[in-house]
Order: sequence, then structure tokens, then C-alpha cells
Amino acid sequence: MSADEFDPEIERLFARSPQMPDSALFLAQVEQKLQKGSQVRFLALSLAGVIGGVVAVRETLSVSLTAGDGIVAGNALGQGIRSASLSIQGLIQSGLDELGLASLELGSMGGMQLFWIAAGALIAVAAAGVMRLTQDL
Amino acid sequence: MTRSLVDRHDVELAALAAAGGRREFGELVRRHGSAVRGLLRRMGAQPSLADDIAQDAFIQAFERCAEFRAEGTFAAWVKRIAARLYIKRVAREARYVAEVGNEEAAPATDHAGIVDLDEALKALSEPERLCVSLCHGAGMAHPEIATALNLPLGTVKSHVKRGLDKLRARLRPQAGQPLGSAQHVG
Repeated sequence: MSADEFDPEIERLFARSPQMPDSALFLAQVEQKLQKGSQVRFLALSLAGVIGGVVAVRETLSVSLTAGDGIVAGNALGQGIRSASLSIQGLIQSGLDELGLASLELGSMGGMQLFWIAAGALIAVAAAGVMRLTQDL
Repeated sequence: MTRSLVDRHDVELAALAAAGGRREFGELVRRHGSAVRGLLRRMGAQPSLADDIAQDAFIQAFERCAEFRAEGTFAAWVKRIAARLYIKRVAREARYVAEVGNEEAAPATDHAGIVDLDEALKALSEPERLCVSLCHGAGMAHPEIATALNLPLGTVKSHVKRGLDKLRARLRPQAGQPLGSAQHVG
């Protein structure tokens, strides 16, 4: 047999594989790994989403309270929003304290830093939402 | 009426798997799992390592299913992923000695004059076996193998040629006997 005839023949031999007797077990192991990977990814994204969401809400409240002095000062509605915001902020702060995030001193950061942190958090929340949606679909 | 998974073509199943279809991907694993595991064993991996790498290759294939362009077969695509994972693993464990290679293995004993590919591959040195398997089993080109193994192209070509020469000698058909006559499934 010449080399020209042999090369395709050897490829045909490689293409023919014996069926493994434990194929079902192999399939189950692959499915198990896929499931595990998906759970880990879901947990990581959920955690990132929750943390990002909490930080974003906290920052939003903080910014609106600061801005509120100039924009809605003297306005009754503004006062109502402000007092409601304060109580929500208090609730979030106590929640953060319980989660051990009380030391998160965002107030000491500059405006741009706060902006980027809030933007990053919002992007993380949006990404988590999109991922969850694609998983559901 | 919905077609059952077994009636669907690989390309169709891969497209559904790319959209997150686990059942469809499971069917692809069922179809090609043995082929990928077999290739890794032919490349020289121990059975447990071959199975580990084959599983990782399928996981990677699932995550990258959208990249499958159906330019070749799905099986060939996964085999290439598996081959690359095996090369990485071997390189990390420094088990592959590029230039020296192992002592040539003793020729395998054949039964009733019939030698199949798996037996014949045992007659090759480790580098020859790896290069031949990558070239003819995983469908990688010589330059691609040279890059993956970090070997000179000429060395890869030599390994493939010597390996094929040995296989040719071992697999020379008996009178009226087709090549690789052991029982195989497609």
C-alpha cells in the first residue's frame, strides 16, 4: 500500500472509535459538571447583583439627599421625599451594618469616584439581570 | 410534531445547545463522547485522565457552542478542543520530552494476525504517537502541531512520518483482511 493510499485509510481508522461501555456514566458526569458550573456562575452573579444593587441604592439615596438641598429645598413634596429617603437610608444602613459593610465609607470619596462606583454597580446589576434572563430563556 | 433528539443533525443540536439547550448538548455528548475519549487514549493519555480531559473539553464546547461554525464536523471540533487541553496538561506536567522521546515500545501482540489501530499505536514512541494522533485523529496541520507542542516543524514532520511508517508496517492487511478489522462503531 502506498503512502497516498495509506493516509486516508489511517484517518478512517482514527475516525472509527470503539463505543465505550460506560458511555452513560460519562454523559452523567458531563451533565453533573455542567450543572455545577451553572450553579456556581448563578451564585456569583446573584451575589454580585445583590452587592451592586445595595451599593447603587445607597449611593442614589446619598446623591439625591445632597442634591435635594438646592433643588427641592422649601418644597413640601421635597421635604416628604427627603424624610422618606432618610428613613430608607437608615434602613439600608442598618442592613449594611448587619452584613458587616458598615465600614464602607463612600462619603469620604470624591464625586467622580462615587459616580464610577455607582455606574459599575448598576452595570453589574444589569449584567446579572441579563444573564438570569438568558438562563431562563 | 417535534422531532426526537436522535433524528436531529449535529449542527442543529449544536445550534440549540448554543442557545442553552442542555438536553440537545447531552445528545451530542452521547454521540461523540466515546470518540473524544478514544482519541485522547490514542494520544497516550491514561483512561482516567482521558475521561477527565474529555469532560472538560465537552464543558468548554458547551460554553463555546456559539463559536461552532459547522465548517467541519462537531466531533472534529470537540476533538481539537480536547487535543489542545491534553497538550496543555502534558506540557504542564512536563511529561513530554520533545527531542529525546521514549524508548520504542515493544510491538503489541496481535490476536490471530489481526492488529487494530489501538494496538498498532502502542508500537510508536510517545512523540510519534502524539504527533500522528494530533495530525490524523484531531485533524491538526503540521505547523499547528509544531506551535502547540513548541517543536520545530521539521521534528513534527519526522515524528509523523516515522509513526506512519510504523503503523503502515503493523497494519499491513493480511490476505483478504481489511485494515483495522477490529469491531468498531462509527
